[in-house]
Amino acid sequence: MISQNKKSKDTTAVLPKIDRYGLRIGVDLFKLSRSLYDKNYKGLELTGDFRVTKKHYFAAEIGNENKTSNQSQLNFTTKGTYLKVGFDYNAHQNWLNLENMIYVGLRFGISSFNQEINTYKVYNSDPFFNESSSITVNQKFDGLSAKWGEVVAGIKTKVIDNLFVGFSVRGSNLFSNKKPDGFDNLYIPGFNRTYNGNFGVGFNYTVSYFLPIYKKKNLPKIKSK
Amino acid sequence: MIGLLTLSCEKDDICDANTPTTPRLIIKFYDNQNPASVRFVKDLRITSIVDGVEKAIIFEKSNTEILNDTMVTLPLKVNENLTKYKFTFNSKSEIQSLISIDDLTFNYTRKDEFVSRACGFKTLFEMNASNQNPIIINETPGITAGNWIKGVQITQPKIYNENETHIKIFF
Repeated sequence: MISQNKKSKDTTAVLPKIDRYGLRIGVDLFKLSRSLYDKNYKGLELTGDFRVTKKHYFAAEIGNENKTSNQSQLNFTTKGTYLKVGFDYNAHQNWLNLENMIYVGLRFGISSFNQEINTYKVYNSDPFFNESSSITVNQKFDGLSAKWGEVVAGIKTKVIDNLFVGFSVRGSNLFSNKKPDGFDNLYIPGFNRTYNGNFGVGFNYTVSYFLPIYKKKNLPKIKSK
Repeated sequence: MIGLLTLSCEKDDICDANTPTTPRLIIKFYDNQNPASVRFVKDLRITSIVDGVEKAIIFEKSNTEILNDTMVTLPLKVNENLTKYKFTFNSKSEIQSLISIDDLTFNYTRKDEFVSRACGFKTLFEMNASNQNPIIINETPGITAGNWIKGVQITQPKIYNENETHIKIFF
């Protein structure tokens, strides 16, 4: 009994853990599927991360959006491209050779876009003359840009072989926002809609594929007696 | 996070009543004998043609079509460069000869300005100097007095807000 117990202990102690390092590339399924069902939206976001240390990943997202926002007083279209770069930190302790992630991260985001006011209504607190028709303007504002920081929290789970699914939520804060003269950046590609302040929120739902590049044996530390 | 989201949505998806949007024309009534002092109008009824029908302004203070005050705020049309109102003085009188009517046509230029996501745009008006007759009395350009109205003066041609008097009517 005693010897058997000792033996099994030794077996677990020396079992080497292999960490795979490589590039994981993916796509945001939410933007992809929304492009199919929402006629006012076309968008694509590609994601990528590269493992640098056991727990740290270099991470980036690149995307393009074309969104028409239809609101009671306004109808406008935003078109543009964005890039987010940063890192993720895996806070999850994996068992054996599992490669799941529960992570937090930071991003720096930059977007270049244009806005076009399609139609608007004049807000009239006194509707005496029953004027409520929309005014068509098609006024376009080019050369707009924004920069922001993002805090990310998410999970990634391996479903089969090298295929992962993931979900992340993001809270962002604008650093700079080049607004058009006579209008506002009510939507920023990559940042999503803006509120009164600089705060914004977002999420993505990704499917990604891992391309292994090299492996590292992660030997458990042997305590010296 | 969802709580935060809904909170911020509610906050700026409804146009706040305190947000300055399309301003109305502010008219103050003055005594023609003593042009420095305001004067109360007597049972004034103000109407305009809306969709082919004569429609009366309901005054906020009294919630009636009858005004007994020294000032009035009137909406201007946001899709035309003129608004015409009919001012019926002493409208409740049973003696027909005591009822006095004057028409005023306000000519202006407009520009629409972005306010916010929830409010959309507002229209700003200007009684411009290039227009020879910004205010026409009884559809007769050039005349300076009507039946009960003895004079009209533009004190602020830029109708950008409701914080000041734009027009003075003397009677």
